[in-house]
Amino acid sequence: MTHTQKRILINNIVMVLSTLSAIIGICFLLWILSVLVANGLDAISATIFMQEGAPPGNINGGLKHALIGQLIIVSYATLFGVPFGILAGTYLSEYGQKSKLAEIIRDISDIMMSAPSIVIGAFVYAIVVAPMGHFSGWAGSIALTIIMIPIILRTTDDMLQLVPSTLREAAFALGAPKYKVIIQVVYRGAKAGILTGILLGVARVAGETAPLLFTSFNNNFLNTNMSEPMASLTVTIYNYATSPYEDWQKLGWAAAFILSMFILTLNILGRLFLLKKKGK
Amino acid sequence: MNNFIDKVFAHSTKIIALVVLLLVAWIFVVLFEHSLESIKAFGFSFIVDTKWAPNLEKFGAFPAIYGSVISTFLAMIMAVPVSIGIAIFLSEIAHVKLKTPAGISIELLAAIPSVIYGMWGLFYFVPIIRDIFGGIGISMLTAGIVLSIMILPFMAAVTRDAMNTTPDILKESAYALGGTKWDVVKDIIIPYAKAGIIGSFILALGRAIGETMAVTFVMGNVHKISADLTQPATSIPVTLANEFAEADSTLYYSSLFELSLLLLVISFSIISIAKFYFLRRKRIA
Amino acid sequence: MATIVEINEQKALEVKNFEFTYAGADAPSIKKLTMPIARHNITALIGPSGCGKTTLLRSFNRMHDLYPGNKYNGEILFKDRNILIPKEDLIKLRIQIGMIFQKPTAFPMSIFDNVAYGMRLQGIKNKTELSGRVEKALKDAAIWNEVKDRLKHDASGLSGGQQQRLCIARAVAVEPEVLLFDEPTSALDPISTAGIEELIVELRERVSIIIVTHNMQQAARVSDYTGFMYLGELVELGRTEELFVTPKERLTEEYITGKFG
Repeated sequence: MTHTQKRILINNIVMVLSTLSAIIGICFLLWILSVLVANGLDAISATIFMQEGAPPGNINGGLKHALIGQLIIVSYATLFGVPFGILAGTYLSEYGQKSKLAEIIRDISDIMMSAPSIVIGAFVYAIVVAPMGHFSGWAGSIALTIIMIPIILRTTDDMLQLVPSTLREAAFALGAPKYKVIIQVVYRGAKAGILTGILLGVARVAGETAPLLFTSFNNNFLNTNMSEPMASLTVTIYNYATSPYEDWQKLGWAAAFILSMFILTLNILGRLFLLKKKGK
Repeated sequence: MNNFIDKVFAHSTKIIALVVLLLVAWIFVVLFEHSLESIKAFGFSFIVDTKWAPNLEKFGAFPAIYGSVISTFLAMIMAVPVSIGIAIFLSEIAHVKLKTPAGISIELLAAIPSVIYGMWGLFYFVPIIRDIFGGIGISMLTAGIVLSIMILPFMAAVTRDAMNTTPDILKESAYALGGTKWDVVKDIIIPYAKAGIIGSFILALGRAIGETMAVTFVMGNVHKISADLTQPATSIPVTLANEFAEADSTLYYSSLFELSLLLLVISFSIISIAKFYFLRRKRIA
Repeated sequence: MATIVEINEQKALEVKNFEFTYAGADAPSIKKLTMPIARHNITALIGPSGCGKTTLLRSFNRMHDLYPGNKYNGEILFKDRNILIPKEDLIKLRIQIGMIFQKPTAFPMSIFDNVAYGMRLQGIKNKTELSGRVEKALKDAAIWNEVKDRLKHDASGLSGGQQQRLCIARAVAVEPEVLLFDEPTSALDPISTAGIEELIVELRERVSIIIVTHNMQQAARVSDYTGFMYLGELVELGRTEELFVTPKERLTEEYITGKFG
């Protein structure tokens, strides 16, 4: 065998191995998806949207409490996290720019984006749950807010920097003060990007379970009082899936399916916004 | 008037940005404060002691640390080669028409919450492990495998992104000398994108070590060190997830806070290494 | 029909009724092109942007095969064989027909390893043979004196002009019969450009050269033959001194006098 033939043979082997690993990876992931869809569709019904949690063995159990709890917790987190993240991102891109302080904040935020979320739960337990003496929806929202801020901050920063500086200069040349330039020109130019960042940020925190385990805890009944323990889809999935009761496990699959579809939809929407912007 | 609003706006954005820094510092301080009791009680032996017995008020974190390290290590040795394979497939082999949809699916899979991976692992993977190795199927090995599958999409996507930074003209130059695809991958793409690829792996490692939900379902939370990978085990996040809401003494809490602090310091360091050493952000000129 | 000068020398390549269509395109980018390339001469391809000169150049070493869906028709003869047949051994072809790109493409490795790369691909492992041929190639590319003390250094430390000469050394090290230059000086300053042009002229002794250039003065300075392409067709191929002084085609004349392009 000549050297070139050997090279071609090795090449073919590696190419086959690469393709195989892609196939194996995709098979595993398809397996997970199909399990999720099959069990989810099987478990889903109108009742689960109408009914609250029920003791095992009661076929009338539902997820209404978890759905509404999840919605409330994530909504408050979005309400706090988005303006906070956008304003901080505005500082980085428009005022701090390449300064040492801005660079440090960028680096720390990047690290926080990958930091373990369960640690944020422990932190919020210490500053909210322990002083209050009990778990609460607020604690859950605060934990998710802390997780969301670096995501919104960095996407806002990136997206604002993509707005061409000539646009800012043109507005300054007309005598506009800086805050007006930022609000009326820069934000508008980066609208699609910021919106994508928000969607991806919401999608990310909506899937978080670990930081809710000992902040918002769980609740088998519908509760809209943020000062009380509150159910969420994610914690419900964990509790129901690890329970020995088949009807609870089934509800766990339904919750998993609803949550995944919600998160995938947000991700796809976010991508579409960016695509639309590029298309212009 | 405009001048005044301008100043207010500028200063408020700056204050809010500073709050982010303070918040991170605050997290470290609070975790440290709450760890003090445990630090005083056990000192350094907290890290090396193998006995975790809440009923005896005895807390040694070594089994959890060991479990975190081993499960992450198992996940990495499985996920690294497969994600390199997927990245090579996506960047060099796949037909153009397949590249974008396959790439997007991988990225979407990376967005699926880890609790789903854990649930799948519990219901579908644990029985397989049980059939093959006996026992209950909940084990270090199961945790490692489920963890590897969970980080696979993220790793493959970032590895592909790193590989894609290689300029086409550089690859063409190697093909023009008679190189095969593999020659180009191993001699041009991997050396060129080396820092980015290693950085991506370390970043994935940093995420994996702090991952909670994918492993909590399938690891068992047993504070025992066993050379047998098919035995139940625990890790730092698994211990936290299982015991935090149920701790019943201040020393128990403090020990859990020390575990949290330990985990934060470990993953903060790993991610910092990835970021500062390998993934230096390119400054926009 | 194009005006093609009679070529008396042996031919390195012969393009016959060649058509090339990019993946997904309706119309071919190169239409029914016929063109001889003289052996051990320098043939320049000129023409306005999008005329197909780079597309034609990249057909000679089947570079288009890296991207799926591109289509060749007709023939390109190299050593009396049509290299466009599907089962053509592209690795062997690319060893015989080398290429230099628009920008310097130093690989992420040492200067020595860059030049040795093509030889190592062919399985040459003998240290003395490798270092002998690397030295010769670097001398041929007129860069030996500048790099002989730092062969182990990373190639990215070289200047743009040096990197481009390194790429030429890397290409000649495997002793190709044809060298394709795709606007090799477009990223270089005038002094480096002059050095590369001088080098190309010297290389003619040993290889046949085809060079695509945007710069008509460059074509006039270095080449023996010049082909003028327009809208995917060859308009005129002539001896360089004749084509620039007494073009046979009206289009050629308009282009070289700057009426369009």
